[in-house]
Amino acid sequence: MASNIYLDNVSTTKVDDEVLATYTKLLNDYYNSDALYDGGVTVFRHQEHSRKLIADMLGVKSNEIIFTSGASEANNFVIKGLSLMHPKGHIITSYYEHSSVIEALKQVERTLGIDVTYIKPQSDGTIDPMDVKRALRDDTFLVTIMKVNNEIGTINDLKAIRDALGGHKALFHSDMTQALGKIKIDLSDVDMASFSAHKIHGVKGSGFMYKKAHIKIEPLISAGQQEFHLRGGTSNSPANIVLAKTLRLALEKVDDKRIDEYHDYLINGLKAIKGVVINSNDKGIKSLINISTPIKTEPMINALNLKGIMVSGKSTCGSKENEPSRTLEAMHIDSDHALRISFDLNNTKEDLAYFLECLKEIIEKYE
Amino acid sequence: MNDIKYDYILCRFGELTTKGKNRKDFIDRLFQNIKKRLKDYPLLSYEKQHDAIIIHLNGIDHDTVCDKLKTVYGLSNYSGAIRCARDLDDVKAKALVLIKKHPYKTFKVNARRQDKSYPLNSDMINREIAGHILRNSDVKVDVHHPDIMLYVIVKNDRIYLMDEKIQAAGGYPVGINGKTLVMMSGGIDSPVAASMMMKRGMKVECLHFASMPYTSKQALDKVLDLVKILTDFQDEIKVHIIPFTDLQVKIYEHTDTSYAITILRRMMYRIADEVCRRRHIKMIANGESLGQVASQTPESLSVIGGVSENLIIRPLACLDKIEIIDMAKKIGTYETSILPFEDCCTIFAPKDPVTKPHADKCEYYESKFDWAPYIKECVDKMETIVIKNGDTRLEEDLF
Repeated sequence: MASNIYLDNVSTTKVDDEVLATYTKLLNDYYNSDALYDGGVTVFRHQEHSRKLIADMLGVKSNEIIFTSGASEANNFVIKGLSLMHPKGHIITSYYEHSSVIEALKQVERTLGIDVTYIKPQSDGTIDPMDVKRALRDDTFLVTIMKVNNEIGTINDLKAIRDALGGHKALFHSDMTQALGKIKIDLSDVDMASFSAHKIHGVKGSGFMYKKAHIKIEPLISAGQQEFHLRGGTSNSPANIVLAKTLRLALEKVDDKRIDEYHDYLINGLKAIKGVVINSNDKGIKSLINISTPIKTEPMINALNLKGIMVSGKSTCGSKENEPSRTLEAMHIDSDHALRISFDLNNTKEDLAYFLECLKEIIEKYE
Repeated sequence: MNDIKYDYILCRFGELTTKGKNRKDFIDRLFQNIKKRLKDYPLLSYEKQHDAIIIHLNGIDHDTVCDKLKTVYGLSNYSGAIRCARDLDDVKAKALVLIKKHPYKTFKVNARRQDKSYPLNSDMINREIAGHILRNSDVKVDVHHPDIMLYVIVKNDRIYLMDEKIQAAGGYPVGINGKTLVMMSGGIDSPVAASMMMKRGMKVECLHFASMPYTSKQALDKVLDLVKILTDFQDEIKVHIIPFTDLQVKIYEHTDTSYAITILRRMMYRIADEVCRRRHIKMIANGESLGQVASQTPESLSVIGGVSENLIIRPLACLDKIEIIDMAKKIGTYETSILPFEDCCTIFAPKDPVTKPHADKCEYYESKFDWAPYIKECVDKMETIVIKNGDTRLEEDLF
């Protein structure tokens, strides 16, 4: 019997072997990257080279990449950093953003008198650019819309949203965490963006914010000169240095056709199981499939877990709370029965076959 | 046949076509420089002709190679070329695909027979090909300002079909005019000066004055990073690093502060002279620009440069800062140059430097200490680092 089949790659990913080896090696270089002696200077140079390579890969400038502890911090940074400069101003977002966006917004609503408009997704799971345009006000200073939804996988057309914003002064930010390494991304559509390393087979506690060079923002972590004086605290240099390699390896695999094959194989298999409804549509990334089954989500996760298969229900960040998923609710999908299957190139067709077999067996047994 | 791939890049020479008798040396040097620039692509092969160098792409991406060629001085322009059989039907078919590949509205055919035995003359070839394109596309002929000029060159065994000419870096091939020693501070100006010297065919060696511990390891790294960028223009560059601190301290001990920078710069030229002597170099260049700072007034330049026995070239003398910055951005050194590290001239910088120094006053201050042994010691203790193109000076496998 197969076991340890990991189908929760949207939640986090296995660290790539090469990344892990490099990271482990880097952990020995303990010097502070801001120190002036040789050890520190070398760490600094490696870190800045990584920043340059990341910028080159994304077609932007080095000083537009700001290392953070991940996308959640980058999202908080954008929202709170800009809100501090525009108290009582207006932000537009979508109803189904990641919790790090929603909760940061709730906080600035509470403390800085920021007014937030939440746009509901259309029935296909995407955000209508015209809805964003209609929500614009004179005091709107930020629009933040995710590129790829983390529960259903739908892809938003950021260029269309940018066009809809026209010449409005509001900055346009996107949480691109789930897009990176899965689809091609174009940073020229946005002013700012957030990314995490651990979603692309990198290490946890690592990520970065993209911010156009001319944009001013208040720091979230006030301290020293690190990250252009914008993000204080001793640099997490080993993670920052290995991030260039992590990104390179991930981008090399963006076009791998095996993902399409797996997707089609799974969809066909799922369609053949009685009682399974496929919630994802063709507007989404291929490596995530959201379904509903006749079994409630938690017993289903437990039953699959007993078979050595790891999947999630709604977003993992809200997995222990009793609230329904905002994404699924917005799309009128019953989140009590939803299951999120996310695979990647570490999976095999045999893994997927075994998953389909187990899913069928559980539904037949417990329905 | 919907898509077409370039088979060659045809490289035309720059100013060297004007130089009759040294032509062979120029072409040989340019040929060597092109090969060095493209050393990462061993699949390429080359053909040297009297008026062009032809790079056979052998499947290597045309744009990648063109991108590398941008920094080769001595190249005037280049074109992507497609090989056709010595058969006009083949040329016509390929010309049509080439035209349709781009959003061109107008064109002109420019045929040239290098093999005069070809049965059709240039005019007839032009008309044959243009007629075919006109009949099979919406593109029109414009003989004065065409969107694309299609070049057709008839050789004795083949016909080349070529896209428009793309402007290259121009100038002379690096190394053809001898060597020059460039004083390299780490600021915006000196890398630009170095690239301008290279453009005039000079092979550059760099001279850097380090004042450890008053200047940092980062300041030196910055200079080496700048030189690394310059290796796109000259494959391998020697950097001579002078430990300058002891002499610098002596100068400040024996000189009035207003004259300190003047004397300091005179000593730098004396050191540069000594390095030139040992390295068999006859020319010094630097980033000095008229009037930019106190040591670059006409009087200062005269009194300071006056100590040197070598020819001094100041390529930036008559450029203003904005022009220099634009050039630095173009060659890619600007972002590195503006990193904030102290160099040997910014430490101990006096508040009241003299702008019109007198030679006799300089000589008076210099008579107060025996500086000659310090000059010798500086050069004796000089460290030379060779920076090669492609060397990041980092642990590559981390990335």
